Amino acid sequence: MGRDRGQRALGLFKGALSALSFLLLISSAPALADEPLDRFQRDLDELRKENEELKDRIDSLEAEDEETRHGLGLLSNLVEVSGYADAEYTFTDQEGEDSGFRVRHLSLFFTKDVQKEWKLFTEVEFEDAPRIESERATDDVKSSQGTIFVEQLYIEYHPKLSWDIRLGRFLTPAGIWSIYHYPPYVPTQTSPIIYKVIFPKVSDGVQLKNSFNLRDSAIDTHLYIANGAGNPGALDRNEGKGIGARVNADLLTGLSAGLSYFGERDNEGILRMSYGAHVLFNRSALRLQAEYQTRSNETDAASGFDDSGWYAQAEYDMSKWTLAARYDWYDPSSESSDDLWTRYTGAVNYRFAHNVIGKLEFNRNEFDDPSMDDYSQGILAIVVAIGDL
Amino acid sequence: MAAFLKKIAFLATVALVLAVSFLEAAEPVAVIVNRANQVEKLSESEVKKIYTNNTLSWSDGAPIIIYDLSTSDPSRALFSDKILGKAPELVAEEWAHLKITNQAKNPPQVMKSQALIIRRVMREKGAIGYVSLGLVQNNPSVKVVSTLQ
Repeated sequence: MGRDRGQRALGLFKGALSALSFLLLISSAPALADEPLDRFQRDLDELRKENEELKDRIDSLEAEDEETRHGLGLLSNLVEVSGYADAEYTFTDQEGEDSGFRVRHLSLFFTKDVQKEWKLFTEVEFEDAPRIESERATDDVKSSQGTIFVEQLYIEYHPKLSWDIRLGRFLTPAGIWSIYHYPPYVPTQTSPIIYKVIFPKVSDGVQLKNSFNLRDSAIDTHLYIANGAGNPGALDRNEGKGIGARVNADLLTGLSAGLSYFGERDNEGILRMSYGAHVLFNRSALRLQAEYQTRSNETDAASGFDDSGWYAQAEYDMSKWTLAARYDWYDPSSESSDDLWTRYTGAVNYRFAHNVIGKLEFNRNEFDDPSMDDYSQGILAIVVAIGDL
Repeated sequence: MAAFLKKIAFLATVALVLAVSFLEAAEPVAVIVNRANQVEKLSESEVKKIYTNNTLSWSDGAPIIIYDLSTSDPSRALFSDKILGKAPELVAEEWAHLKITNQAKNPPQVMKSQALIIRRVMREKGAIGYVSLGLVQNNPSVKVVSTLQ
């Protein structure tokens, strides 16, 4: 009896032990299954964290490197220098002109941010270095000497991005070509006939530039007072000052247009009033631009005359190549009916690099005036832009 | 002859598929601004106005600081094509012309890496830039205001 009780108790104990083992096994099974996953998750989290830290470290190292170079750059470039140079070979059948090499421009721009809101901008141009003439009979060093001149020098005050004031000598803000004409960025070496003729090339004076938005259009305006055409600095020989203005509006995507004006009484007492209109379409690889300019020239004594002209130019970019064509028309005097000058220009540009451009240009000049001979001209040029623009 | 034409058609199809897959492979680009900027979204035309200097300041009057990538960066190629409709090299030339004539109002500052653009945009309240979407998708320190693909 006692033995039976003992065996029953042992059986119960075994059963309880088995049940406990079973329960323990069941309860521990998920934990055992989860353990590698948890460890993997922890490792992954740690790796993620490490990765983030490494990324941050790389970012800050890159930033430090960039900031250091920027700082050194500011120190080493006390004055920022940029510019362009071009050399060309010109061949022509124009009477009295010879084919030859021409070291045409070396223009250096010096820009210095004097203070946060003050800038000094200068352009010194060395134009027409001594020319090598292939057909000139009598070379004269003096007559073929080049010129060094300060094309632009002004002090700029720009408290806001939208406006600035410039005091000194600046390119006359008129139309498109008067401002945007630098050889690395225009397709032809020759300029439109009206350039520098109807509006002065540069003006000594003060200029206010302002930009604002009108509905969806961005408007840029220039207003300036200057000595007048051909009156640089101390050579201003009259009390009167020329007044000019330019307005340009971005009308639609890629389309902009504007008007220009300049009025002055020059040293000979002639009242010259210049008016201009320009339009530019610049979309994708196509660029079309046209300008019309006219000027009235009036004296007190006699009736005056008008001179006027226009051009239309098309450019098309194809990777490293640019094709361009331009038509020029100029009437030097409204009093004469047979003095028209027209020019047809075609050009091909090839970019050896983003700042080295080869140009081949051909133009044909035709005159209504029977005393003027028509002529053709070809130009082969290499243009380089200087500085990291 | 028919076999030859089939071969040509097959090669053309392969080339087309490769070209399409290459185009599709271009990673989406995110236009980003500083977290504190009030702007939440910018349309493509608004981004264009900023990158062409037709818009110079944010709605609160703060000047916009524009960041750009180098012309060789694939993200710039996508951005230039979608926003400006031109090759990056053409756009760079136009900026160079504006800068050399001192007519550029607010030219973009070119950064050598996307990480630098993110860092600048994080630090400067008026900054705007663009980088690969993947770099900023889960980055709370900058705000994505437009995506391009």
